[in-house]
Amino acid sequence: MSSARSGSPLNRGRRTHSRIRQAAAAALASAALLVTSACSGAAADKDADRAAAYRITDKTPATTGNVNSFTWSVYAEPTTIDYAYSFDFPPNQILSNVCESLLRWNPDLTTSPGLAASYTNPAPTTWVYQIRPGVRFHDGTALTADDVVASLSRNLDPETASVWANQYKNVKSIDKTGPMEVTVTLTKPDSTFNKYLAAGPGTVESAATLAKSGKDYGNPQTGVNCTGPFSFGSWTSGQSLTLKRFDGYWNQERKAKSGEVKFVFLADATTRVNAFQSGEVDGGWMVPPNAYAQLGSTQAGKLYFGRNTTVADEVVANLKGPLGDPKVRQALLMAIDRKGIVKAGAGGVGEVSDSLVTDNLWADAPPATREALLKDLPKYPYDPAKAKALAAEAGVNGQEVVIATSPLDSQTTIITQAVAQAATAIGLKPRIDSLSAEKYTTLFTDPAAREGIDLFLTFWYTSITDPLDMFASLETGAFSNYGNWSDPAFDAAVEKAVGAYDPAQHAAANAEAQQIASRELPWLPLYTLPVSVFMGKKITGVQPSIAYLYYPWAAEIGAKG
Amino acid sequence: MTAAATAATTCAVRVLRRLAGMAATLLVTSFLVFSSLFLAPGDPASFLIKGRSPSPEDLAALRSQYGFDEPFLVRYWNWLEGVLHGDLGRSYLFHQDVSSVIWSRLPSSLLLIAVSGLMIAVFGIGSGIVGALRRGSRTDRSLMLLVTVGAAAPAFVAALLLRSVFGVQLGWFPTIGNGEGLMDRLHHVILPAAALSVTFTALVTRVTRSAMLDELGRDHVEVALSRGAPRRTVIRRHVLRNALGPIVTVSALLVSGMLVSTAIVETAFGMSGVGSLLVQSVDQLDFQVVQAVVLLVVAAFVVVNALVDLVLPLIDPRTAAAGSAR
Repeated sequence: MSSARSGSPLNRGRRTHSRIRQAAAAALASAALLVTSACSGAAADKDADRAAAYRITDKTPATTGNVNSFTWSVYAEPTTIDYAYSFDFPPNQILSNVCESLLRWNPDLTTSPGLAASYTNPAPTTWVYQIRPGVRFHDGTALTADDVVASLSRNLDPETASVWANQYKNVKSIDKTGPMEVTVTLTKPDSTFNKYLAAGPGTVESAATLAKSGKDYGNPQTGVNCTGPFSFGSWTSGQSLTLKRFDGYWNQERKAKSGEVKFVFLADATTRVNAFQSGEVDGGWMVPPNAYAQLGSTQAGKLYFGRNTTVADEVVANLKGPLGDPKVRQALLMAIDRKGIVKAGAGGVGEVSDSLVTDNLWADAPPATREALLKDLPKYPYDPAKAKALAAEAGVNGQEVVIATSPLDSQTTIITQAVAQAATAIGLKPRIDSLSAEKYTTLFTDPAAREGIDLFLTFWYTSITDPLDMFASLETGAFSNYGNWSDPAFDAAVEKAVGAYDPAQHAAANAEAQQIASRELPWLPLYTLPVSVFMGKKITGVQPSIAYLYYPWAAEIGAKG
Repeated sequence: MTAAATAATTCAVRVLRRLAGMAATLLVTSFLVFSSLFLAPGDPASFLIKGRSPSPEDLAALRSQYGFDEPFLVRYWNWLEGVLHGDLGRSYLFHQDVSSVIWSRLPSSLLLIAVSGLMIAVFGIGSGIVGALRRGSRTDRSLMLLVTVGAAAPAFVAALLLRSVFGVQLGWFPTIGNGEGLMDRLHHVILPAAALSVTFTALVTRVTRSAMLDELGRDHVEVALSRGAPRRTVIRRHVLRNALGPIVTVSALLVSGMLVSTAIVETAFGMSGVGSLLVQSVDQLDFQVVQAVVLLVVAAFVVVNALVDLVLPLIDPRTAAAGSAR
């Protein structure tokens, strides 16, 4: 989706993951440590200077009061803010402040009640949600079970073609079982369904508005009518989208500190950085890595890094070519200078990863599982000579591989060059195919666009705190399984994890899937990176975290002293 | 029939012919574009399903909902019928009517083009005239050097330079957005318009200079000058007037083609317009929008061409005489 790729030059990926690396050893000691350990790796082989170069911030300095308004840059204009089509950084970071879900994904990546005040799971296939009383939509009407049923049911309707349909694939029915109670019945146990209700799939809109707006719902003319701390203000196509503080917000403690937020759409990375420095824009998520140094030392504001679930991966899109042999994929990964990529391409902000998911997705796993994971995870240290030998053994001898890229940012260019170099090093013949940013996004949605392409880069994040979000997308036949990879043992592990509600069993099955994925490498994990956010000198208060895609982060931004 | 009536009839026939020709051009273009979209690899339905693993039934339902399963000619006919009724269709990417998608972006594109067009006319024609009149001088040589550099400078390089010097360092102009209200909009559009017009200005300077030189070298001009007619009058009446034909034609074509060349500049300055819309829609196979934008561009060409044809006789009556003699 345009999104899926998350588009931009910066990020094309979408959901998932976690990384498992030595740093997790520190996290094992105490779950609480996770917060800070994610990036300040404890293992001895990490360069001290690199670890010191950046750190994760949980909460930026407290605000000193309210502000009238602030301006925020987004790298692309959403095509709509209908939650059923919102699955990418641009729409989600806006919508998260306007529309709320049944549950809430917090900046520390935990999940807590949202528009559902409580919920129970009386049987493995039954989830019962008690709707929070006293909540009002932006038009003043009260939230009831009808609204929840109408909102969730859209994800089941093929005519809607919701991007969240996959998350609803095990849902049999969604029923109102009381004025303020909704019951979801599953066709089989699904351990992630409830978790997804903290993200886009759990979004609640007024049933009356959905009926009234029809096909125009969520477009610039009609907007949306939800329950969040900000209401939809106006949307000038191609320019900006303005939100206004909602005075009737149910949670007075979390009321927005800003009267207005204006999102401006700035596709060009340099344009965004210039706008930060000149003060024309007060802030933005996803700072271009080549501007880290510049923005880290500017008087114009402050750059922060936060918790993330993103891994940069090279997707293997063609398993019929030379990369069809797992040995070749392993050799290629071993020949990629990933430390060099982090240093040159990511401004030194990131950690090499041998897993497709980040550590902090394992928060619910028992320590023993995590320890075993770390110990047994196949590792691919940089070793071009060994890689070449391995590739030769697999019969690599000058075959061509096509690497797709998009020239719009330096990070992507550098990674692509490094991968091409690695391919050459193991005896393949790389050809770089450069696509426009828009065209690049189609690699994530259209099999025809992937034809003739062997590898492409993605920054893949998970929308929930569970490695399964990543692994399920590599199941046989899954939409995001771009190379049509298939491994019966992997599928079995994923299915086991889907059906396992018990945290220990769930983690064990996930660990099994991870083991296979890291050995077979349907995608090549490169490195993990933190979320980045820049705020100008006028404002502060945000909690930097990937949760900004579903959490009302803008409400926390206020005046800086 | 009187001579006047005959002339009027001939004129009406010409106008009708012209209109028919314009309609035919648009029709043929629309058909070509419609067919070429079918040749483009990819299936719009695959964009609609986004992150899903749809069942074949779901996919079929979706395709029929959007009419993707209809035969080509039926789809073309349905579309054409809609356009004739003023309905440009619906963008599946933006979830709104194509007309509102385009309409929301058109004003900023038109302002950008208008300001660029003005810059091209003033600086391009102006420096072309100066160069021709001072042929071989230091001024002429410097202008020609600038023109060579300008013609080779891609718009994005110009945009980067202008933005960093006049926007970021000097702070004279805003670097992003379209602005609100006329004055603010003009303030916002100056840098992008300058970036966009650099290459075109250089081309127009060249055309103007050589057209002027051609005219300057003609016998009647030399005779007039040698007989002591005032230089200023000769240049205005005989040189400039005759040279204007090619200059106007080239300038008009350049400006009408600008609608599609704005994409890069729009991106660099965070503006939204029809150029970037076209690029986005082509890449995402948003058929309806691509169709409408291409038609709009072709219509602009056709209309500008017609206007040039109407204006040329006013500048140089010989054109009209030649036309009716045919």
